[in-house]
Amino acid sequence: MKKIILLLFFLSFGLQAQIKVGDSMPTFTLKNASNEEVSNTSFKNKYVLVDFWASWCGPCRQGNKELVKLYKDSDPSKFEILGISVDTDLTKWKKAIEKDNIKFTQLIDPNGFDAKTALLFGVEALPNQYLFDKNGILIAINPTLEEIQNSIK
Amino acid sequence: MKKSYNYLLLFACVLFSFSNANAQISKAEIRATGLTCSMCSNAINKQLKSLPEAVDVATDLNTNTFTVTLKEGNTLSPKVFKEKVEKAGFFIGSLVLTTKAETIKQGAYVVVNNATSDNAEVQIQILDKGYVTEKEFKKLSKSFKNVETYASNNEDDFHIKIIN
Repeated sequence: MKKIILLLFFLSFGLQAQIKVGDSMPTFTLKNASNEEVSNTSFKNKYVLVDFWASWCGPCRQGNKELVKLYKDSDPSKFEILGISVDTDLTKWKKAIEKDNIKFTQLIDPNGFDAKTALLFGVEALPNQYLFDKNGILIAINPTLEEIQNSIK
Repeated sequence: MKKSYNYLLLFACVLFSFSNANAQISKAEIRATGLTCSMCSNAINKQLKSLPEAVDVATDLNTNTFTVTLKEGNTLSPKVFKEKVEKAGFFIGSLVLTTKAETIKQGAYVVVNNATSDNAEVQIQILDKGYVTEKEFKKLSKSFKNVETYASNNEDDFHIKIIN
């Protein structure tokens, strides 16, 4: 019986659509560019913007410029950006980080749209951003720069 | 009377099995266009994977191409790829098919580039409206103004260029 419940639980996970405003941030652990494991639970009591992207995605690279600036102008004790790349080619990912001069947290889930975290969040197109408040509650999907700035003030 | 009916049936069977065996697309390479980056959306991928005849859908991020490998013995029309891509909210920029050489000898295909191929499998590009970019279609319409069927935009015949 227990097994069946567990199975149903995982099945429901597999079928899960995009997370909704008001939902809690799903927990996950991914590797950074130094091959260290980073859990998203380490960003408690901060606003967190989760940004799904890939080095080959033109609009994402354009967006990186804005994110870099946003991060520079924000208070790191209150706000964190968590970039998740779905690049399958780690070299291209690392090159893009360097080229776009990204200083905020960058993690990799190297499996395209089939990446576990992409499925967990329900990512259907890149870039895709999720803004969570200090309690880890989703407050906006694909917010504008202005919306982010107003929220984290 | 009965005999001739039998013959007719036999003839129909032979014809049917022939058209089935010959109408085979083994691979479709699709470049999609649209207002947004086609590779940045999972929609096309999902649509193509939903084809029961699809064995595999691969993406090439350098050429922005989706490559669909298809089951042996399928009888898919090129129209299917157009429908799937458009259902995903995009358009076809180019469609190159790998087919059995017999396939293009059927009535549905009109070769417009005077090329022939001795290969058992040929690579063809569909040049009809909706299978190339708007700009290319305008250009092609001028080049093929003598090909009557090209301008008529019948969606069940395909004007093709043999590539290989």
